[in-house]
Amino acid sequence: MAAAVAINGNASSGDWEGRYYHVDQILDRPGPRTDPSFLAGDEVKDFLRNKCKILVIGAGGLGCEILANLALSGFKDIHVIDMDTIDISNLNRQFLFRQKDVGHSKANVAAEFIMNRVPGVKVTPYFGKIQDKDEDYYLQFNLVICGLDSVEARRWINATLVNMVDPENPESLKPLIDGGTEGFKGQARVILPTVTSCYECSLDMLNKPTAFPICTIANTPRLPEHCIEWASVLEWPRVHGDKKMDTDNPEHIQWLYQIALHRAQEFKIEGVTYSLTQGVVKNIIPAIASTNAIIAASCCNEAFKIATSSAAYLNNYFMLIGTDGVYSYTFEHEKRDDCPVCGGESLDITLSKDWTVERLIEILVERQDIQVKKPSLSSPGKQIYFQAPPQLEEATRPNLEKKVSELVADGGEITVTATTLPFNLSLRVKYT
Amino acid sequence: MTTADSQDIEQATATLAYFTAILSDHTRMLTRISQERIWAASGQAALESARILVVSSSATSTSILKNLVLPGIGHFSILDSAITTPADAGNNFFLNARESIGKPRAQEAVPLLRELNESVQGEAVLKDVKDLLGTEQGKDWLTGFSIVIAHNLDKPTLEELSALLWSNPEGPPLVTVRSAGFLAEFHIQYHEHCVSESHSENAPSLRITRPFPALLEWARSLDLNALDPTEHGHIPFVVILVRQVDEWRKSHGGELPKTLAEKKEFKKGILALKVKADEENFDEAEAQAWRVWSEPAIPSDIQALFSLSALQSASAQPRQGTFHALLHTLVEFTKDPAGSGTLPLSSNLPDMKSDTESYVRLQNLYRQWADVEKSKFKELFEAKHPEAAASVDPEEVDSFVKNSHHLRVLRGKRWGTFDADREALGNALASTPREAATHLALTALTNLLAQDTDASKVTDEALKGEVISLVGPGVELPEELDAAIGEIARAPTADIPNMAAFLGGLVAQEAIKMITEQYVPLNGYCVVDLVDSWTGVVG
Amino acid sequence: MIKIWSMKKNEDQASKKKPKTSAAQIRVQKDLTELDLPSTMKTNFPDPADLLNFTLTITPDEGMYKGGAFVFQFNINSNYPHEPPKVKCTQTIYHPNVDLEGNVCLNILREDWKPVLNLNSVMVGLQYLFLEPNADDPLNKEAAEELKRNREQFLYNVKTTMRGGALKGTQYAKVTA
Repeated sequence: MAAAVAINGNASSGDWEGRYYHVDQILDRPGPRTDPSFLAGDEVKDFLRNKCKILVIGAGGLGCEILANLALSGFKDIHVIDMDTIDISNLNRQFLFRQKDVGHSKANVAAEFIMNRVPGVKVTPYFGKIQDKDEDYYLQFNLVICGLDSVEARRWINATLVNMVDPENPESLKPLIDGGTEGFKGQARVILPTVTSCYECSLDMLNKPTAFPICTIANTPRLPEHCIEWASVLEWPRVHGDKKMDTDNPEHIQWLYQIALHRAQEFKIEGVTYSLTQGVVKNIIPAIASTNAIIAASCCNEAFKIATSSAAYLNNYFMLIGTDGVYSYTFEHEKRDDCPVCGGESLDITLSKDWTVERLIEILVERQDIQVKKPSLSSPGKQIYFQAPPQLEEATRPNLEKKVSELVADGGEITVTATTLPFNLSLRVKYT
Repeated sequence: MTTADSQDIEQATATLAYFTAILSDHTRMLTRISQERIWAASGQAALESARILVVSSSATSTSILKNLVLPGIGHFSILDSAITTPADAGNNFFLNARESIGKPRAQEAVPLLRELNESVQGEAVLKDVKDLLGTEQGKDWLTGFSIVIAHNLDKPTLEELSALLWSNPEGPPLVTVRSAGFLAEFHIQYHEHCVSESHSENAPSLRITRPFPALLEWARSLDLNALDPTEHGHIPFVVILVRQVDEWRKSHGGELPKTLAEKKEFKKGILALKVKADEENFDEAEAQAWRVWSEPAIPSDIQALFSLSALQSASAQPRQGTFHALLHTLVEFTKDPAGSGTLPLSSNLPDMKSDTESYVRLQNLYRQWADVEKSKFKELFEAKHPEAAASVDPEEVDSFVKNSHHLRVLRGKRWGTFDADREALGNALASTPREAATHLALTALTNLLAQDTDASKVTDEALKGEVISLVGPGVELPEELDAAIGEIARAPTADIPNMAAFLGGLVAQEAIKMITEQYVPLNGYCVVDLVDSWTGVVG
Repeated sequence: MIKIWSMKKNEDQASKKKPKTSAAQIRVQKDLTELDLPSTMKTNFPDPADLLNFTLTITPDEGMYKGGAFVFQFNINSNYPHEPPKVKCTQTIYHPNVDLEGNVCLNILREDWKPVLNLNSVMVGLQYLFLEPNADDPLNKEAAEELKRNREQFLYNVKTTMRGGALKGTQYAKVTA
């Protein structure tokens, strides 16, 4: 696939006259709500088509749509990451994939498809995890669009982009546009790391995954779902030991379905089906093509407006419910002060190179402005001093005598937690 | 199809799929499993027999089609005599870029759309809709579809097409889509649209205050003191509530709790039955006590449909005719002196704290009584509407009865009616200025382009003048109007890719709701503004 | 590109760089360092540098399980506290709310988990199971039946199994000190 980044054979890299007739109507003059900083005409076109570099995370239902929209809008340097391979059940909505592509990397196949269909666009795929990449990688992009179905991956990229913001470097702030869908419902949002509400700020808005009491599952099943959970939560580990259940593997689903069906019959419960089994163990409401199209379009529209300044961008949350008429709600989700990712207190502190950890703790406790009692301290990946539990207190106690400068480099960070702090305090340490 | 049947079939197909991975049906089956969780096998079957006409193969048109081909409509026709321009090749994903330039646009698009789903048939008809509207044969062809969708069609042609499709109540609904740059709207023209399966998230009545005999018998036979603690902690809340209502009525002259004080007392009475503090079933009963005083015999939404059907029961559309016959039967059902004056019982029991045996017993009681009432409903239906009953698909009756708490009847308007009603326009400008202003700006654009196809004449002033002539003199124009007009003047003929994709999703979604007769489709104009990223409904 | 940086300049507080520690890590640090456990509960970290995987030993000082030491494995993933910690009993024990595989029936570990709960609440909840075994919503049905039917016999079974005895063909772990 590495070779595929070259321009494909059937078209030259040059645009044809009139190619951007539609988009150029937007780029050639401002509208009434366009910011005065908009540079109509060649300058903005040059940035969009020759300079702007955009990252798409996910090449699934949303990702396929996002890639196509970006390419047609005039983004020409697009990167895409996806760790998944194409499954047969993806074909009803992930429209860049065909039967022959089953088993291949989503990122690779999608990239190749786009480059063939939209000449002159370079799509660079990466078949792997977002966690494989470091800050230097993410720093190269102007914008990031996420079309993921995983809460965990979203939290990771959100935290990574928030943490990347460096007060000394304006280029370190990367707008993150996030989309998600479930059935006829979906949402798109714009996150400006450290400026607006972030993904973590709104975590409590997520629907809690349905979980049934384990004793109900074990003893008083009433619904087909209870029988399916019995098969997946209790029987699978009992029978298969450490073998991991793969919810994309039809053999695994079939096994769970049979076990659940048998249990349901035993308890005279009706309604266990293959598709319900799949739905319950995947714990997601199926995505459909039309909702994906709406949300992906919304995400790409925001990316286009932010990249070109051609119109105001979404501030900051668009929610769509399509079950009863067309209902949508656009609102500003508030940043949370106690957000563990973008909130919390942050403090610059200057210490003498000789001061010990114990002295630092005393200084913190004495400071009137932060009101901290019994603080516990750590640096990224390393404990400095923990007040509890006893084993860890004992293990970290020797550090009290050590100099802070032996444990934390100049400009390094210390995370402080304490019962008196709503979440945490981060210290940036400088030595005199 | 009964639930048991569909389960058998689903189990059989699942097993088949599992063992016969090489069959091409396998792909279709697996890809459908997930979307059938959204609109069921009946919805999928409706999609697969749908024939769709799309007038034009613009970027927006092919985006809409993409989202109909993927889930598996039966057949589509693109009616378009246009030749691919360099601009088309730049903004339409379903063309072969510059290779398509100079070739018939629809002919280029069809194979690229068809390759998305091999089970979908599609054709390009390289004719002008104006010519078809001019012949009887052409008119017959245009009215022979399940639904017709038209994007940015010029006003005189659109007027003719909408008149043709409106003239026959049995004819297909017409979806008209208009877009320019960051602004767009679409409208669905239909006389009436009836929905049994609205997929409402509201729970149907459990009939706590109007219990059927077997439920009341259970509640009365309960000897709370004789139960062991485990049994006591697993009595379903429904049974607890029925029992408490029964007791309450005995001591209150047959009345239910009415005042706030009485309601509090009723709730207290429930909690007083607990033998252990952590009995969740009694907590559930207390939390669900609102059902005792807030559940009417017939929900007001459904009551409203009863008078509607009396007005227009003679609908000419056969499908709607059956629906109205069923609706009329429902009215009769609720009036039956031997009945409980309610809608037929739903067998749909929510989960509740209980043991398997009690829950399954309760579920069976509900199911059995729901069957009794359904039989009674069917008897009435056959007696009152023998012709309809003889020809109806039994599944339709089952679905109607099952969903009788959530029926919906939408009365639509002809495209353009709103624009001819100055009072309605004025009211909309006052109550929903943003939506109304955007709609008016788009209508003004349509009107201007009908007078002169030269887009350079679409200026702020011209648009404003057109809006004023639409709403009439003396109407106060909101500031939102200038924002909308300015965007239209900026890009009067721009079919930008993101708007095309956005509309592609929205319009396809509404078309799917119309075709499957599930969920509730749009009534009026859906207006889209992708500058401030909102949608709204007007008219 | 829209000038986001200029908006940022107005936000003094936000302009400070955040630590690279993950939200889950910080939260676990906060939970652990604020644990307030009675002497009947003790945590053990096989690798003190790894805060996400550890055990909790409960030694009830009253009730039917007095004299036993019950060990629970805690595994916390990076989605904490969106997801609850995974907790299993590492021994085969005779308890109405713990099955022979070590699964535990505690509402806050599944259906009633909320991100505002913390590790302390889970640990206190686990200890409560040993003081007040709940026979009405059991996971080990036989044990629950016995507890309801014949408390004396149940107590006898508890004592036998805690010493590492066998019962109805099941070999139990010795959990007495």
